Amino acid sequence: MPEGSSVADLLELAGTGRQQVAVVLNEAIVRPENRATTLLKENDQVDVLVFAGGG
Amino acid sequence: MDSLKLGPYEFSSRLILGTGKFSSTRRMLDAIKASGTQLVTVALRRFNREQAEDDLLGPLSEMGGITLMPNTSGAATAKEAVRAAHISRELSGSPFVKVEIHPNPHHLMPDPIETWEACRILAGEGFLVMPYIPADPVLARRLEEVGCTSIMPLGSAIGSGQGLSTAGMLKIIIRESSIPVIVDAGLRAPSEACAAMEMGCEAVLVNSAVAVAGDPMAMASAFGEAVLAGRRAWHAGIMQKSGSAVATSPLTSFLGTD
Repeated sequence: MPEGSSVADLLELAGTGRQQVAVVLNEAIVRPENRATTLLKENDQVDVLVFAGGG
Repeated sequence: MDSLKLGPYEFSSRLILGTGKFSSTRRMLDAIKASGTQLVTVALRRFNREQAEDDLLGPLSEMGGITLMPNTSGAATAKEAVRAAHISRELSGSPFVKVEIHPNPHHLMPDPIETWEACRILAGEGFLVMPYIPADPVLARRLEEVGCTSIMPLGSAIGSGQGLSTAGMLKIIIRESSIPVIVDAGLRAPSEACAAMEMGCEAVLVNSAVAVAGDPMAMASAFGEAVLAGRRAWHAGIMQKSGSAVATSPLTSFLGTD
């Protein structure tokens, strides 16, 4: 991803669309209101999570 | 009304449904509706663009009247379970968490030590903690002491359909517990859910028995009715067993031929 990309940019690239997802950046949860302003750096670990069926 | 009280929440249904193993999201939603349940479990997984149509959160929110209880399935340690709980609360907005820590896929038995630790931390953070545990009265008491909202002892191994193999211990746990006891795992047929309620369980959690039934929607409805019947029977005062016969009709001798 280009330098200075935000979490929101990453989600757009990943194609989450309007689906509600959780984002964890280096073990910190990034809330929706902060995703456009949270910028990514090299070696950042990002997890994008959703709910699936489970018992 | 005889509602199920979990923390500040009250539910009129005492059936909790799992959402795993359904052949489609549509089938799962239909089963939820047919069962009358108001509390369902979900699991976390990584977002995958190719599975975007399998989004559960959207349809479940749209359904209305459903509260989510995210589980921590996949966690092998308390730390992982706590992380999963935090992420789940962020995503669902629900304070419920089913602490489910079972690192061995062959038996899926809960790790009591990691479970206790995760529950201690999460209860301290204000979660409504619902731990999945072996049917162990000592562990059940320990979990009640650290602030769990309920305890969920297994009937038998997850997905095994072996029923209430832990019945003896379940009765002990029910007798000794002041928080709701909810049987979770291993139920195969509605009669078993009914039996659990007759014992004094406050609710049952069922997943495989509905999801892999021939007709999940019909089975979900059957389980809903079975839970109602069992609860009513428990309230009505079930008769005691007797070692010998106790006649129900007068044993009059005038019907004899002498």
